[in-house]
Formats: sequence, C-alpha cells, structure tokens
Amino acid sequence: MRVIEVNNLVKQYKGAKEASVKGISFGVEKGEFFAFLGPNGAGKTTTISILTTTLSKTGGEVKIAGYDVGREARKVREKIGIIFQKPSLDPQLSAEENIRFHACLYGMCGYRPSFKLMPKAYRDKVLELAEIVGIADALFKPVKKLSGGMQRKLEIIRSLIHTPEVLFLDEPTQGLDAVSRRSLWEYINTVRKQYGTTVFLTTHYIDEAEDVDKVCIINHGQIAVCQPPDEMKQSLLRQELILDADDRAALTAELAGLNLSYKANGQVVAPFQGQTAQEIIAKLKTPLKTLKIHEPSLEDAYVEFLNQAGGAAL
Amino acid sequence: MSELILTRKKSKVIREMGAVWAIFAREVTLFLKSPATIIMSLAMPLVMMGMIGGNLLQNMAGGLDFELGGFMLVGMLVNMLFMTTTTGMASLVDDHETDFNQEMLVSPISRYALVIGKILGSAFGAIISMVGTLIVGLIMGITLPVGELLTIVALSPLMCLSGGALAMIVIGLIKSRKAANFAVTLITMPQMFLSGAIIPIQNSTGVLKILSRCMPMTYCLDLVRAVVGGGQPTMFNPLVNCAAIVGLTLVCLVLGTWFFAQSEKNR
Repeated sequence: MRVIEVNNLVKQYKGAKEASVKGISFGVEKGEFFAFLGPNGAGKTTTISILTTTLSKTGGEVKIAGYDVGREARKVREKIGIIFQKPSLDPQLSAEENIRFHACLYGMCGYRPSFKLMPKAYRDKVLELAEIVGIADALFKPVKKLSGGMQRKLEIIRSLIHTPEVLFLDEPTQGLDAVSRRSLWEYINTVRKQYGTTVFLTTHYIDEAEDVDKVCIINHGQIAVCQPPDEMKQSLLRQELILDADDRAALTAELAGLNLSYKANGQVVAPFQGQTAQEIIAKLKTPLKTLKIHEPSLEDAYVEFLNQAGGAAL
Repeated sequence: MSELILTRKKSKVIREMGAVWAIFAREVTLFLKSPATIIMSLAMPLVMMGMIGGNLLQNMAGGLDFELGGFMLVGMLVNMLFMTTTTGMASLVDDHETDFNQEMLVSPISRYALVIGKILGSAFGAIISMVGTLIVGLIMGITLPVGELLTIVALSPLMCLSGGALAMIVIGLIKSRKAANFAVTLITMPQMFLSGAIIPIQNSTGVLKILSRCMPMTYCLDLVRAVVGGGQPTMFNPLVNCAAIVGLTLVCLVLGTWFFAQSEKNR
C-alpha cells in the first residue's frame, strides 16, 4: 500500500521565471525507508514542504496516507511528523515544555502548567524517549542552552510523541557531530522497526541513505532516477580491484590479457563487471603485494549520476 | 523501547479548544519568563495614563461637561488592552523568524485556533497593563466603582479579541520584526486618537469620522463609557456597540487569519 503518492507535482514560486518542481511523480510504500536526494536548489525542500502541507502546490496531485494535501491538509497533518531543515523549537521554553506544547497541539493530552501535573502516560513517554535519545538530563533546561545536537534529539522526540505514520526528515543531521548522528539514526531505525513508520529522508550526507529501501534523485526540479540503492549502484558503477605487485608490468599485462581495463597510478585499479573478484584473482599468476576490493558506495553512484547528468543545479 | 503510545482525543472540538488553551498557556509562560516584558507592561500605563493622561488632565480639564479624569481612565484602560494585545500579536513575527511558526502550522489544528490562542495569550499581558493603568489612576486619584470595574474586566477578553483580530490583518502579512514594530505603531496610534480614547470624537466629520467608525476600538470605548456612566459622552446604544464589536471582530478575524495562512503557504 502506498502511503505517499505524488503525481505530476508542479511548483512555481510567485515571480519565478520557471518552476522549481517540474511535474515529478513517485510513490512510497507503507513502512518504506525512502531517500529523496539531490544537489542544492534541486527542489528537495520545496517538495517536502508541499508534502507536509506548509507550501501550496501549483499543479499535480499529492496524497499522504490516502488524504489529499490540498483538500484534506488537516487529516494529512494528523498522520505526519516532521523534522525541519532548521530547528523549529521555541528557544525560550524548556525542552519538556516544547514537547508538552506539541503533544497538546496534536490533541494527545490537555495542557497543564507543569510537567508534574501532566498525565502519567505523557510523563512516562517523555521520560522514556528522553532516556533513549540521551537528553534526560537536559529535559528541563531552556532550549537556548542546549547544543545543536541536543536540540535535534529534542526535535526527534517531539516529532514522534504523536506516533506519526510518516516521518519526514529534512536534513535531520545537519550540524551534528558523528556520535550524535549515529545515536540519532539508531533511534530512528528502532522506531521504524517497532512502529512500522514510513520515513521520508532528504540529506546531503549520502552515506545516511545507504540502507534505505528506495532512492529518488531530483535534479533541476525533475526526478532523474528512482530505484533501490543497490540497483542504482549496479547500473552506474562497477566494483574495482585494487592491486599491486613488485612486477607491476607483469601484472598489468595479465590484466590486459583478461580483457580488463585498468588505471595504474599509485596502485593498479581495475574495474570489473560480469565476473567475481575471486574468478579474476584465480587467473592471476603474478605474486600480489596489495589486494583490495572496492565496493561502490551510494555516494559514488550519486556523484557519478550527477556527473553523467551534466552537473548539479547550483 | 516500550509499547507506550499516547492516543489522540476523539472530539475535534475538544482538540481545537485544547490547542487554543495550549497556545494561550505558551504565551503566558513566555510572558512570565520575561522580566523585561512584565516591566514594560507595567511601565506603559505610567507613560500612557500617568504622563499623557496627566498632562491632558492638567491642561484640558476646564470647561468640559463631563469629568475628564474618568473619561481618561476608561480611554486608557481600553487603549492599553488594544495596544498590548497588538504588541503581543507582533510576536507571531518572532515565531516566524525562529521557525517556530512551522511547528504550529504543521499541527492538525485550524488556523483560527492558532490565531485565537495567540490573541488570548497576548490578552494576558494586556490585562496586566490594564491593572497597571488602574494603579496609576488610583495614584492620580481617579477610580472606578468595583461593579463597573468588574464589568470592564468581564468585557476585556472580547475587547482583546477585537484588537488582536484587527492587528492580524496587518501583522499576519508581515515577516520581519522591523516591519512588525512599524505596523504596531501604525495600528495603535490612529486608534488611540481616532476612536475617542483620550479625545471625544462626537464632532468628528469626513474621513476621520469614517475611519473612527471602522475601528472596533471606537465601539469598545463607547460600550465601556455607557457601562461606566458618570456623564461620559457616548454615541451609540450599547446593543449597537455589541453588534458592531462582534461583527468587526469576526470580519477582522476571518480576514486576518486568511491573510496569515495564505502568506505562510502561498509563496
């Protein structure tokens, strides 16, 4: 079942000469981990803003959990959680007050003037989430005194307090250190598995999209490719053998004899496809002093794709 | 991770009212957390009632067929409600600048709940200013009977709603704090002089008369003056005032909310 359906979506900002999003179509299945990638200015944030009802579309049809984002925006909002590109916290309130305000806006409980007076279910949920994400000690501190990483974690808790069906993450780890990034992804993956939450991710850290179910690349306002990461890597890149030998001339001669192209700079790099590394190595007689197999990453495929597409929108 | 899940309340009306209450509570929390705002709310009456009102009393009180002190106090009370609510509404621009508006705009509540909650929250500061005005009046020897005072207090939420709704028409379209500050002045100053807060407007004619009749504050003031009595000049039947306040408030609320929602979404 598709939980996000986008058909021929068009967005042209007022006064703009051309559309930022030019008739894109894609779908996301329930429970899927979906990455929406693209260079700066490609139309990612515009698309996510329309999907989350904060921006009107110029044309096309968008449905979230079966509801139209234009006509049934309120129903859509009940089904989604969002972490915006820029933090959208109230810096004057404490971390817990931000969560309390959110829970009350979403009708999960009535607002009471202190945490102690809030319903037990709310208190338990907040304390549990804060413990998991690692901000339990900072829960009652003003947001303005929290680090960027802590604020991001707080936004994660806030976006999940109403248990959304679809979680939109618009560059959620921007500005976070490596440890914070890792713990945040561990938590998001736990939530995804436990609640079957559909995750729609945009990010510039392509490695974060390595484990997604499907990748869509948007470039110049158009969907350029939409497929599982492995298929994308296979279609764009080959694996590489990284080799070296004391008798490099003999090695390269053998590679040429096997009809393998290679580059010999610091080491000999030989891309291969259609046969396994084991099969190639078994045919080599020259004693090797270096042997590595390079698996292309999603980032390699992404960069290769943009190069083939004639560069990114800037 | 446990299976603990909070459940959403079923009734849409209860959820809307809960959202209004939450937004109101946030505004009150922010007000109480800001000593500068509290001080300003209490200092404004000193300027408005103590300095402007006091100066007018000393120089213009003679030859009038009504008691200017009571007239001034009522004018300043209503003016403070409108002025402080309008200033409070300008915090919508702050929320836009900190991106907190996005948090509210993606929540499953009507835009009216958002605006009404914001107005009522701003009204909290306005009521504090009203109390400040009464204290300054007391120091100046100008008082109101308790019954009349309670009537004004009872009417104050309606007046704040009216003032806040009018402010929304302008502030809802603004995205920068600098422009918002200018807009607050643009909204509050003409109202203070054209609606009869400190100067009677029975003899206004032409454009000034038309403008005064378009302002909800004119009817709020006239209604309160009728309630307070004491020979204060009034223009309309209280029922006409009530109808005008409700009508203008609804029109301003619908227009202001629509402008606000559209300006955020239609870019």
